[in-house]
Amino acid sequence: MSKIDLNNISHTYNPKDTEPTYALNPFSMTWENGKRYAILGPSGCGKTTMLNIVSGLVRPSAGSILFDDKDVTDLKTEDRNIAQVFQFPVIYNTMTVFENLAFPLLCRDFEKEKINERVNSVAETLNLQSFLKSPARKLTADQKQLISLGRGLVREDVAAVLMDEPLTVIDPDLKFRLRRKLKEINEEFKTTLVYVTHDQNEAMTFADNIIVMSDGEVVQAGTPKELFERPNTTFVGYFIGSPAMNLFETEASSNDCVKINGTLIKTNTNLSKLKDKKIKLGIRSEFINLAEDQKDNLLSVEVDKVEDLGNYKLLTAKMGEFTIKSKINRETEVPSSDVKLHIPADKCCVYENEILI
Amino acid sequence: MGKLYKILKYFFITFWAVFVVAPFLWALTTSFKDFNSVNGGATYIPWVDFEPKLEGWRVLIKSPANGGVDIIEPYFNSLFVTCTASLISIILGTLSAYALSRFTFKAGFVKNNDITFFFISQRIMPPIVLSIPFFLFLGAINLLDSLIGLIVVYIVLLMPIAVWIMVDFFNKVPREIDETALIDGCNPYQAFFKVVLPNSIPGLIVAGMFCIIFGWIDFFFAFILTFTEVQLLPVKIVALNSSITPWWSLSASALISVAPLIIVAFVVERYLSKGNLSGAIK
Repeated sequence: MSKIDLNNISHTYNPKDTEPTYALNPFSMTWENGKRYAILGPSGCGKTTMLNIVSGLVRPSAGSILFDDKDVTDLKTEDRNIAQVFQFPVIYNTMTVFENLAFPLLCRDFEKEKINERVNSVAETLNLQSFLKSPARKLTADQKQLISLGRGLVREDVAAVLMDEPLTVIDPDLKFRLRRKLKEINEEFKTTLVYVTHDQNEAMTFADNIIVMSDGEVVQAGTPKELFERPNTTFVGYFIGSPAMNLFETEASSNDCVKINGTLIKTNTNLSKLKDKKIKLGIRSEFINLAEDQKDNLLSVEVDKVEDLGNYKLLTAKMGEFTIKSKINRETEVPSSDVKLHIPADKCCVYENEILI
Repeated sequence: MGKLYKILKYFFITFWAVFVVAPFLWALTTSFKDFNSVNGGATYIPWVDFEPKLEGWRVLIKSPANGGVDIIEPYFNSLFVTCTASLISIILGTLSAYALSRFTFKAGFVKNNDITFFFISQRIMPPIVLSIPFFLFLGAINLLDSLIGLIVVYIVLLMPIAVWIMVDFFNKVPREIDETALIDGCNPYQAFFKVVLPNSIPGLIVAGMFCIIFGWIDFFFAFILTFTEVQLLPVKIVALNSSITPWWSLSASALISVAPLIIVAFVVERYLSKGNLSGAIK
C-alpha cells in the first residue's frame, strides 16, 4: 500500500549496441495508493517490462522508482514487498495448496496464527477452501491460476499487486466474478492493483485509470471516460472502443470546420493554424445518431448494412469514399433512403499527425 | 482385426520378455553348476538336468588364502567410489546447470551454450584419449591406485552427464517459478533450495540414475588407474578368468554386480509410475 512514482524510466535489453532498441521509452508516472490501474496495449508493447521494472525483476536502463518517496531502484525484488501474478499459473508443485498460499508469509516470518487466518481468508475469497490440503500439482489450470492469484493477495501490506494478464486461462464466467472480487478487495483493503491486459473491456470495467501503451511508448494515461471521449492519438481511438473510432482524413476548411465529402462539419477545436494541412477527424460511433430535428452537422449517407448486436444496432454507412459506423438504439428503425447522420460538434476530435489537437 | 492385434501384441511382449529374462536365467542356472555340468551340454532345470552346487558362489566370498577370490572388498570399493562420485557430480552438476540455465555468461565469443557444450564434449572424445593425461595427473599428485584418485576421475566423467541432463531440465522449468519465489520474499539462494530444487527432484533422479549406471559399469579407467592396492568390481570380475574359464563364478559375480542397477531401476520405475516424472512440468 504505497504510492509508486516512476521517474523517467526507460529500458533496453541491448544497452551495449550503438543504437539500442528501447523496450520502454522514457516516461514518468505516479500510481496513487489504493487505486486500480490497467496497463493496456497490444502484445510486445512493453507492458510486462514495465511490471517487471516495478517488481524489480528487471532493472531499468535509466530512471528511478520510488515507493512512498523512498528510492527502490536498486532494491532487490525480495526486499520490495510487492506481489506479482503472471499470465500462466506458477505454483510450487511439491507443496499443498495451503503451503503455496502460506509461502509468501512464511518467507517473511509471519506468525502461525496470522498465516492461518490470512490463508483461510484468501482461500475463502477464491473458493479454494476445499482444496487446501490437496497437492497443488493435482489441480486444474484455472485452479492453479487461482493459487497464483491467492499468493499475490495473501499479504495485506504489499506496496502493490501487479497482475500480468492473470485471467487469460480462466473461463469467462469465473473471470467476470474474479474481476468483481478484485475490485472488492481493492475497495476493502485499499490495495493498489496494477492489471496488465490487452482486452480493452477488461481494462475499462476494472480500472480507475488506464495506461495505454504502444511500441514501448506510454500513449495516454487517464480515466476510462477520458480515453473513450478524448483519445490522445488515433491509436488510442482505434484501440479502445468497439467498433473503433470513426476517422476521416480531411482538411480544415475554416477556423472550426472540416469538410467531409463536400459537407462542412463544425468542431469545437480551433483549427485556425491548421488551414490546408492534412488532419483527421475522429468521432466515436456511440456519439453519431440518426438526425432528428438537428439542422447542422448532418451527413447524408447511403446505408450499407445494419447489424442487430443484441443491445444495440450497428449501422454501417457509405459516403463517397468514407465508411462511417454508428451505434444506434435497437428500437430505432433505419429508413432505407435519405438517411442523415448527426455529428455532435463537442464530441469531434481533430488529429494532426495522429496526435490530438 | 482387434483379436489379431491382441494376439500379435502378446506374442511380441512374450518374445521380448523372454529375450530380456533368458540371459539372467541362464546366468542363474550356470552359477549353480560345476565343471562337468557346464561342459556336459545345455541343461536348464536343477536337480533334474544337473546337480546344483554352491561352489561358484562360495569362491567369491572365500579369501584368496583358502583358494577363493574375495569379491567383497572390490564390491564395496565400487559402491563407495560410484556413490561418492555420483553424489558430488550431481551436486556440482546441478549447481552449474542452474547457473548455465538462468544466468548469462559471456567471455569473448564464449557464451552459455558453448560452456554447456564444453562439459558435454568431455564425453564425446573416446575414453582412451583421456587415459594418459589421467594417468600422469594422478601419478603427479600421488593418487594412482587409490579410491580418492578414482573418485576424482569419475567426477570428471560423470559431471558432464549431470550438467547435460540438468541444464535441459532447468530450461524446461519456467523462469517465472524463480521470479515468483523472489517476489514471495526468498533471496536467490532460498529460491533455488526451497522452490526450484524440490521441483527438480525428477531431474535429479534421472541424472543420478545415469551417473550411477555409468560409474558402476566403468571398466576402462578402473583397469588403467589401479594396480594392487585398490580394485573395483568390474576389474575383479575380469580377473576371475583363467585358462579354464570358471563360468559358474563368473555367472554368480555377474548377477551380484547387476543387483545394484536392478535396485536403481526399481526406484526410478516407481517414480515414473507415480507420475512424478511426467507431470512435473506443465
